[in-house]
Amino acid sequence: MVLQPTRDDLRIAWLTALAVSIHLLESALPSPLPGVKPGLANVITVAVLIYFGWAMAAWISLLRVTAGSVLLGTFLSPTFVLSLSGAVASIFVLGLVTLSTGRTLLGPVGYSILASMAHVSGQFAVAYLLFIPHPGLFRLLPIVMSAALLFGVLSGIIAHHMLRRLTHP
Amino acid sequence: MMTYADRVVLVLGIALVAWLYAHYWGADAPGHYARILVGNNEHEIVSLQTDHEIRVAGTLGTSRLEVREGKIRFIDSPCRGKQCVHSGWLSYGGEFTACLPNRISIQILGRHPRFDAINF
Repeated sequence: MVLQPTRDDLRIAWLTALAVSIHLLESALPSPLPGVKPGLANVITVAVLIYFGWAMAAWISLLRVTAGSVLLGTFLSPTFVLSLSGAVASIFVLGLVTLSTGRTLLGPVGYSILASMAHVSGQFAVAYLLFIPHPGLFRLLPIVMSAALLFGVLSGIIAHHMLRRLTHP
Repeated sequence: MMTYADRVVLVLGIALVAWLYAHYWGADAPGHYARILVGNNEHEIVSLQTDHEIRVAGTLGTSRLEVREGKIRFIDSPCRGKQCVHSGWLSYGGEFTACLPNRISIQILGRHPRFDAINF
């Protein structure tokens, strides 16, 4: 028997490929501080969340982290663990919000801010629990959170324009 | 472009970031107590809330300490260098001074000590 991919499978594959490409391009950018990066792949997660729903966004986010780490050579390394914990935290928060309020209350900007801040929080929690159990770590949190807020808003705006073109071509 | 709920999320995000700066980068709270050691033994823990003068007997003689407005300092000590007196007022958690010849040291106890130990 040959497994036939469903329409959703193909969508997930294409959108994951797009998210992985963004992820890889971004990893080539120099970062001013460890942990600060634009996180533009978040645009795809947020747009998919609004356009196709939470389940597909979760698939794409987790596949993107896994495939991206294999391509970057960080699979199962601490970098991967941090990346994965950020993705899981943001998907978890997005899930809570969409389950409790439906998909219409928040727009792309709101979702994007929640996702990026949850991402950083998840990473810091795991970094503290697994790698650097020192309270000094949290001195970095205000800067990284400011960056998360800023880039969250930016990604949200990008996702907003993307969705507008998808819905009103 | 932004819904009402988006604005709420944005404002909450800004508030959280502001709180993080205040909490993790704010000045250390002034300490409320100071520990006075003679040699390696604790002589006493004094509150910095009441202004008073303390006399502590050390190896060479009696050192005089002054507590005023949440701060503490050496005002006199029977040593030659008087580094302890010149180090001035201590008020923040973790701050430390000592009169080594007289074997007396003072450390401010705070909720967020700024360091664990100092080597000279």
